[in-house]
Amino acid sequence: MKTNRTMKTGTKTLAALAIAGLALSACGRDATSAGGEAQSDAIDDSPASGTIEVWAMGAEGEALDEFTQAFEEENPDAEVEVTAIPWDSAHDKIQGAITSGEGPDVTLVGSTWMGEFGAAGGLMPTPEDLVDGDDFFPGAWEGNQVGGTQYGIPWYVETRVLYYRTDLAQQAGWDAAPQDWDELTQFATDLQSKAGAEYGINLQPGQTGSWQTFLPFAWSDGAELANADGTEWSIASDPMKESLQYYSDFFAEGLAQTRVMDAGELESGFTDGRYGSFISGPWHAALIEDAGTDPSEYAVAPIPGPDGPGASFIGGGNLAVLTDAENPDGAWKLVQWLSEPETQKDFYETVGDLPANSTAWDSGALADDEQLAVFGDQLDRAVSPPAVPTWEQVADIIDARVERTAKGVQDVDEAVDEMQSQASSVGTGL
Amino acid sequence: MSSTHAPHPSRETGEKQDAGLDLPRATGSRTPPQPPTRSRTLRHPFGGRSNDPTARSQAVAAWILAVPFMAVFLVFTAGPVLASLGMSFTDIRSTDVRNPLSVQFVGLENYTRLLGDELFRKVALNTLLYLLLGVPLTLGVAMAVAVGLNRVTRFKGFFRVGFYLPVVTSIVAVSVVWKYLLRENGGLLNSALELVGLPGQAWLDSTHLALPSLVVMAVWRNFGTMTVIFLAALQSVPTEVLEAAESDGASAWSRFRHVTVPMLRPTILFGAVITGIGYLQFFEEAFVMTSGGPLDSTRSISFYTYDQFGFGNYGLAAAASYLLFLAIVLLTMLQFRLLRSKD
Repeated sequence: MKTNRTMKTGTKTLAALAIAGLALSACGRDATSAGGEAQSDAIDDSPASGTIEVWAMGAEGEALDEFTQAFEEENPDAEVEVTAIPWDSAHDKIQGAITSGEGPDVTLVGSTWMGEFGAAGGLMPTPEDLVDGDDFFPGAWEGNQVGGTQYGIPWYVETRVLYYRTDLAQQAGWDAAPQDWDELTQFATDLQSKAGAEYGINLQPGQTGSWQTFLPFAWSDGAELANADGTEWSIASDPMKESLQYYSDFFAEGLAQTRVMDAGELESGFTDGRYGSFISGPWHAALIEDAGTDPSEYAVAPIPGPDGPGASFIGGGNLAVLTDAENPDGAWKLVQWLSEPETQKDFYETVGDLPANSTAWDSGALADDEQLAVFGDQLDRAVSPPAVPTWEQVADIIDARVERTAKGVQDVDEAVDEMQSQASSVGTGL
Repeated sequence: MSSTHAPHPSRETGEKQDAGLDLPRATGSRTPPQPPTRSRTLRHPFGGRSNDPTARSQAVAAWILAVPFMAVFLVFTAGPVLASLGMSFTDIRSTDVRNPLSVQFVGLENYTRLLGDELFRKVALNTLLYLLLGVPLTLGVAMAVAVGLNRVTRFKGFFRVGFYLPVVTSIVAVSVVWKYLLRENGGLLNSALELVGLPGQAWLDSTHLALPSLVVMAVWRNFGTMTVIFLAALQSVPTEVLEAAESDGASAWSRFRHVTVPMLRPTILFGAVITGIGYLQFFEEAFVMTSGGPLDSTRSISFYTYDQFGFGNYGLAAAASYLLFLAIVLLTMLQFRLLRSKD
């Protein structure tokens, strides 16, 4: 009796599934995929009007409401409504807005999400001639292109540079920062042998986000992760193998440690002189100064490439207008205003975000500060990873192999070939 | 000697047999049987085979009363479950959210892909290790503590609260403390080892030690629940049975082994099932303590599924969830077979 009943429900479920399956297979994926979309029509120069809803995360979200009062004064008929949302839930919220069509007009989008949201059809292509792309840092501008179409505008940027202890460097006989790969290895060796650092340099030994430290070396050496239209991965290459070998040698020779550190360990270790140098973004200046490093005891320098200053990773935030925006005209005008050099400079002074518009760096505090000049210089050579929907997954594949080579459990050629084969089986999603 | 023989324990447990997963309760009192006629109409509320008008109006009333729950259940429980099962047979990705019906039906491809994925096989093995190490250890510690607490007469509440406390603390707060305890340089555990002349270990940074370290932390965090349940069960073991066994000359260990444990069988089954499910879904500890590392040695199936959802591979992630679900069903069936009371 009992088995009979379970069988009946089993058959029913199967039948229901089969029907659902048929229904789904009948729909099918059509050939048109995202990308290759035309840019939107140009907008006029009349003042913006109506309500413009904006979502922004973090410090930007908190500061933006007050900041956009200047825009409202210039455009009396427009009203900007800013909703601050936390970074943790931002991805899901924006995705929900894209799915349901109920969302803001403008949203801040993390730079590595562009591929996914753009390919999902949730973002509106940037109107023709909204801004001049040449005004922006090239890496940031390219990071907004999904399958050849520009979505949104880069708003603020960050990049990775080399932080080092100037006092320890001097003890080790270095008056200037290392310029190329050979010098960087020598620099780390000297910091260790002559200046008493436990590790000459700290490099991420794998795990989430280590690609942000490793890929600058690969890009410096000429590696290209994907083809131009973002349809195929091209990870396996000689520059990739050469740079991964160079990177993993730091661990093999004991110049960098293979252990993942706890929060705060790097900052205090740098202050104590345990780590002579490390690679990170602009936020680390405040963190190491809080940990007790005197501003006169450290400096930043561009990441060395094989034969001179090299490339870096460019990250940051982009402003995008959603496909289902109720006020696209007002939305683009706000985006245009936020990307103007003067506004970008003001926003830097308000929040501290580095402007994506490189012309904003020509004068004022951004031009005068020595430390910022290094970031500005590095940003000119900073690269963004391919803006494709599967990037996060491929980044994870790269992270896992970086860890294996750093810990010496996998050989470099095999690791790079595996990155390629795994990434190819995932595809780019375009 | 045999004149004071107590009723055979198996008769007592036999009473509880059909209680299945129910917590142990006072023996004896069964609910009296319902009058047969009433129970028949109750048993076929939707049957409608009877021509009795009362039965029919009762059936209508039953349907009306059931509709609100059924609607909520179908929309919020059965619907999503079936949808996710359907999803596991498609290639749905996060880029399809605006147009979910345009996905391709791919049959079992997600499942075969998972089974062929080297990383999935690794996380499956890790999950099995969590299960095999975690369940016996949690139940063993919980039982030992419960037996100990059962004899404590003073500060009983204090100890009970103390052992239960880790269960209700936040995993994030706890993990910070444990990370300090297990730190390679200057961690409390390594410092203690050095005091007795043993070498310190990289507890969370070694591919061999990280998983067992997380199991120990999980046991510490979870045994409180089972302790409370075992304690309640121990208190329902009739003292006259134990006294009888004692006067028959049974040692403390054999009283525990041959009287207490058999009487606790349904509770142990419950504990094994619940903790087994918990360890198969192992996630938080690895997520906050090791991020699945080093070299994926602490990544579990749940962690893998979480990652796949994060990457936007909804179809593949759904398939991984159903494989885990299947594992839970099989484990539970196995535990019922091994631990059910024998007649």
